[in-house]
Amino acid sequence: MNEYYRTVYDKFELLVRIGFYYTKDDLWVSIENGQAKVGVSDYLQKTSGDVAFIEVTKAGSTVEKGKELGTMESAKATIALLCPISGRVDKTNDELIAKPELINSDPYGKGWLAIIAPSNLDDDLRALLSADDYYTLMLQKLQTEHEKLESR
Amino acid sequence: MKSKGSDSQREKVIVIPCSGIGKAFGSISRDATYEIVDNLRKDVTQTLCLALLVSGDEESLQLVRNNKCITVDGCPLQCAEKKVKLAGGNLAGSLRVVDAYKENRHLKPRSVTFLDPDGQQMALALAEKIAKKVDDLLEGH
Amino acid sequence: MADAQEKKVGIISCSGEECVEGTISRVATRLVLGKLRPNETVTICLPLFLAGGKEEREFATDYPTITVDGCDKMCAKIATERYSGKPASSIVVTDVTGNWYCSRLGPRRKLDEESQAAARKVAEKVAHEVDEVLERWM
Repeated sequence: MNEYYRTVYDKFELLVRIGFYYTKDDLWVSIENGQAKVGVSDYLQKTSGDVAFIEVTKAGSTVEKGKELGTMESAKATIALLCPISGRVDKTNDELIAKPELINSDPYGKGWLAIIAPSNLDDDLRALLSADDYYTLMLQKLQTEHEKLESR
Repeated sequence: MKSKGSDSQREKVIVIPCSGIGKAFGSISRDATYEIVDNLRKDVTQTLCLALLVSGDEESLQLVRNNKCITVDGCPLQCAEKKVKLAGGNLAGSLRVVDAYKENRHLKPRSVTFLDPDGQQMALALAEKIAKKVDDLLEGH
Repeated sequence: MADAQEKKVGIISCSGEECVEGTISRVATRLVLGKLRPNETVTICLPLFLAGGKEEREFATDYPTITVDGCDKMCAKIATERYSGKPASSIVVTDVTGNWYCSRLGPRRKLDEESQAAARKVAEKVAHEVDEVLERWM
């Protein structure tokens, strides 16, 4: 069974993990044992470039949906990562301190950012996109990029 | 083509960049290497084309096996390091452009074809690191 | 839109650190990608291609490629043939510039005017080859 929706843009394969939830700002949420694991989508890591630094709100902190969970920095840009779920940060991925490139090489696996104990899970999940809807949104973003390049 | 062996007979460190064409960091790896071999440590270093190792060019293979090598990679995929190792090269050091970026976060190189001022500065910062590594290797560290 | 049906040509340049023709090859390729044929071409990073980069190799297998080499050692052409298949076209910079050897003592880091002109000439040739390849593909 397919784990991902895939598309190809130029030479790049872009993946959307099936079964995860997504924000319009390209973060994903996966629910495991009532906890929310959070990361960045393949689309976001590819368009951001090689990640050099990642900063995430530390474990024990309260986070609010839509507010800054952390920042991701590459030579291209510094991106604010907006939290998809309200709750308390239970754990952050400390491997990313020494190896931020895991976000690029394995965005849906080893590149996870934080695990959050949700405070309002049902409502927060309803506001997120399904993998199908995010895939459609991603294609629209790629189309917009393509049109920008063509008009140059 | 001029023989590689006709360069000076004294010990040399071979500095090999990835020269990745798709990213600014690839161009920076290349420029930093030129700064070393043409300027900062020009009498004791030389570079070579990474692709020659893969195509099996015998002169290039002997050069990397018989001399200490430093690879300079533009991204975490570390293609130069991988190929030198695979070729049986004497890999004595691996540097990454991101190592220079981490100490110079204010620099945001954008241009790939011709380095912009931020890219040139980062290349110089990286070249200083490479120079230090070259010195360490020649001193026997 | 963003799928395998779109007609694109992969350009694979040698990395050629040792001589000015390597730099010309690289600059010419970037000129094609960025200015002359930005919508029709994709760059294949040769070191990544050699190291087994999945996206690079798959693209070069599924789409036509043009290799641009600095000298007659033709590393880009050899690598493409070995790992993905015969390129649709191959260009050697020394053929275009008329040099009969790789001029290692030249200004390989920062191209002088003559070398920049050579890069533009090579880029025009590559762009022409891109058009021919796409026409054959139609």
